[in-house]
Amino acid sequence: MQQDENLAAGSATPWDDNGQLEVLTFDVGDERLAVEAVSIREILDLLPETPVPGAPDLVASVVNFRGKIIPIADLRVAFGMPRNPAEEAHPDHRIVVIETEIDGEPLQIGLRSDKVHEVTILDRADSSEPPVLGMRWRREFVRELVRQPGSVIVIPNLPTIFTSLAEAA
Amino acid sequence: MSGQDPIAAFRVEAGELLDATEQALLDLSHDLESRALIDTVFRGMHTLKGSGAMFGFDALAAFTHHCETTFDSVRKGLIPATAELVALTLAAMDHMRTLVDDRDGSSASAVGEDLLARLHALLGNAHASAATLSDGEEASRVGPAASCLGHQSWHVTFRLPSDALTNGTNPLILLDELRDLGGTNLAVDLSAVPPLDELDPTQCHLGWALDLPASVTREEIEDVFIFVIDDMELSIEAIGNQAEAVGTSGDALPASEDLPIKNSSQVVPVAEARGSPLSRPASESVRVPADRLDLLMDRVGELVIVQSRLAQLTSNGVSGPAGELALRSISEEVERLANELRDTMMVLRMVPIASLFGRFRRLVHDLARETGKSIELETDGESTEIDKTVSERLADPIVHLIRNSCDHGLETEEDRIAAGKSPSGRLRLSAQQAGGEVLITIEDDGRGISRERVRAKAEANGLIQPGQVLSDSELLQLIFQPGFSTASQITNLSGRGVGMDVVKRTIEGLRGNIDMTSEPGKGSVITLRIPLTLAIIDGLLVRVGNGKYVIPLAAVEECLELSLEEDIRSRGRSMIQLRERLVPFLRLRELFATGTRPDPYQKIVVIATGGERVGLVVDQIIGSHQTVIKSMSSLHRSIPSFSGATILGDGGVALILDVVQLVALGQSHEERLRAAG
Amino acid sequence: MSNILTVDDSMSVRMAIRLALSGAGHAVSEAADGKEGLDRASSTKFDMIITDLNMPNMNGLEMIREIRKLPIQAGTPIIFLTTESDEGMKQQAKAAGATGWLVKPFVAESLLKVTRKVLGQ
Repeated sequence: MQQDENLAAGSATPWDDNGQLEVLTFDVGDERLAVEAVSIREILDLLPETPVPGAPDLVASVVNFRGKIIPIADLRVAFGMPRNPAEEAHPDHRIVVIETEIDGEPLQIGLRSDKVHEVTILDRADSSEPPVLGMRWRREFVRELVRQPGSVIVIPNLPTIFTSLAEAA
Repeated sequence: MSGQDPIAAFRVEAGELLDATEQALLDLSHDLESRALIDTVFRGMHTLKGSGAMFGFDALAAFTHHCETTFDSVRKGLIPATAELVALTLAAMDHMRTLVDDRDGSSASAVGEDLLARLHALLGNAHASAATLSDGEEASRVGPAASCLGHQSWHVTFRLPSDALTNGTNPLILLDELRDLGGTNLAVDLSAVPPLDELDPTQCHLGWALDLPASVTREEIEDVFIFVIDDMELSIEAIGNQAEAVGTSGDALPASEDLPIKNSSQVVPVAEARGSPLSRPASESVRVPADRLDLLMDRVGELVIVQSRLAQLTSNGVSGPAGELALRSISEEVERLANELRDTMMVLRMVPIASLFGRFRRLVHDLARETGKSIELETDGESTEIDKTVSERLADPIVHLIRNSCDHGLETEEDRIAAGKSPSGRLRLSAQQAGGEVLITIEDDGRGISRERVRAKAEANGLIQPGQVLSDSELLQLIFQPGFSTASQITNLSGRGVGMDVVKRTIEGLRGNIDMTSEPGKGSVITLRIPLTLAIIDGLLVRVGNGKYVIPLAAVEECLELSLEEDIRSRGRSMIQLRERLVPFLRLRELFATGTRPDPYQKIVVIATGGERVGLVVDQIIGSHQTVIKSMSSLHRSIPSFSGATILGDGGVALILDVVQLVALGQSHEERLRAAG
Repeated sequence: MSNILTVDDSMSVRMAIRLALSGAGHAVSEAADGKEGLDRASSTKFDMIITDLNMPNMNGLEMIREIRKLPIQAGTPIIFLTTESDEGMKQQAKAAGATGWLVKPFVAESLLKVTRKVLGQ
């Protein structure tokens, strides 16, 4: 019951009944992130971006995605990493288009990614809530951390990131 | 609109009929004696009742019947038309609208009963006689069902009216019908046939006689002749013995096989449609004049021709100068057609603003009653056309503005007389087209806006600092700030929680803007400037730094060159001499923090809105651009400089500048500089 | 199958008539007022014409009188739509040359009945 409410609010990780979750993993800076596979719309090569003067750093530009104007988000801003200057474009760079809901409105956003890895299944048994202390990031921006052999995958709380950082402009 | 759904079409027509009838009622309220208006109202109700019943709107038909009966009494002079009756009938018409939307009327039956009770009360005795009248109708509809027994058969003789043939009655069909009823022993009476030289072949000179079995009723026989029975000779006799009856003269019709009257098992589409679930609401449809559709068809035809030229060209191969020339000519043709299709398409969506204004007559009528003020509404420019969606979205903001004028602007009769004004307040609604925009003004001759009260209120609400220097237009603009209300006493009219800020936001949501002037003691004028359509604008494509931007062409007044020398000289002042006036300008390169060096030949694009001007300094003017407006995501909607974005020919994105916001920004820069001296 | 013209300024009524008649296998043409109806009737022979009386441009009575002058429509049955209460109108329409009438409001069944009555089975 409690979990259902969290789900509706978009703040809980939607583990299935077997405690598993299908995700896409990709790199932003030196962190590996995972986003539920169901919310992924498309993975694009880099597109010419149009900067929006006056927009928050998190979503500083837009692109034409199949005739729709969608914001491009740089999650480095949310995780306090140095921003990647545009001229350092690398062949591995991709835009991961996701669909999420913000303030009840469905919204497509392109996430800048340094490298896209794979669609994989994560196990709840490997996951833990973000620690109260000792994180470089704002705790509410992370839903869960999932231990993998030799690394930790971050499941970001995208609705929270976008509502807090985009409106802070 | 669906070409196959009479129910949807009925809803549209019923809406229009109700609108027209409501207008007549409102006119009637000013001229209670007018027979013509009483007739119009009566006829409107009568038609609505009839068509309602036809399309299965039984609750509507039954309810409207009572209102029709009432107006029939008025028409017959049994009861007078009064303001009370008009007001009650207006309320009844609102209920009819509900019943048009909700066919079984279950959701609002209590409202209907209450209205009918009030009609009863108003009518008193007059209604009692009306009620019996309707009972009588009911009875006649059931019809007499007497059957004739006690005789063996019928002997029928008849002669049709002489003009029956020219009027389209075919005697053979009537004879077929009689045969189907079991008619036998047919005889023809030739006695009235004139000599050949006097014979008029278009006239019917024959008479007939035949026998019918007793199982047929007299009504069934009369029913055969229903359309001619008043003008013909017909005798229907019950006789003792059918079997022995023999024709009196001429040849007997051989008894044919008895065909029973067919019970139609055909699908009855209307009745079927009645049972089907509601289709699209009527408001979804647009009524398009046929000539506009023809125009669209022509364009589509041309497009098909160009397409075939293009197909031919590609199959022949585009090579050499001739091929390129042919391709260019096709490209130009397609461009022209695309423009024309766009324009035609836009025109299809246009509706006269009259339908919008029509609603406000009713509103003002009700407001006058509620406030006890005397208010005259004038309207002008009702044939001005506007996009249907825009028109619908304008309704609420204008309702609010009218409420404001009636509530706060216009004075009571006593106050007006004391101020040396006419006792009736005047409210004027007008519309006119100006370029790509429609101007709608709401004007009253009331007390105007008290600057002192606006200032006091804004200071109390912390919108401005005490004693802050503001221009008059800035002061008036405070009214549109969230939470602002000039009414020192909130009445039930304006104090409904919707502020002028909502009105402003709605208008800006339509890419329009709102402007107000007001003269204390004389009245206020609110002007709405609304683009004709939402989807596409003509734009001016410019470059600032590395980015491309679109300025709505409707706002562009002129383009000037800003020489490097002038640029340096003006630095810090940001004003340019434009003929007689100093116009502030904004360096978009700085505003957008492009981090690029200015082009040596920068341009100033002078834009204007609401009488205010500002120059925008850009690096390059690329040219005009057909701009299909796309909305920005909610993450970018709060950025003030842009009203949307568009996709360029190369697939890139250009942002569309928000003219109103930039002009406001330029003006505030100017005033800050002035204040600084 | 018969060729039938329906003349009415109400689109919903025209649609309802078209639905009912085309369901019974008839071809239906439409006109939105008397003038348009007369134009159609001047150029095309119809087996039957169904018309409203109260219409803009040219009312039904006038149209019936004019159609009765057209050789092409000699003997074409003309049915007019009327309401229960309009006895005076009924007389005028008959005098103008109408064949019969249909009382509004009507359902498809009564329309088909009148059609069968006028055109034969």
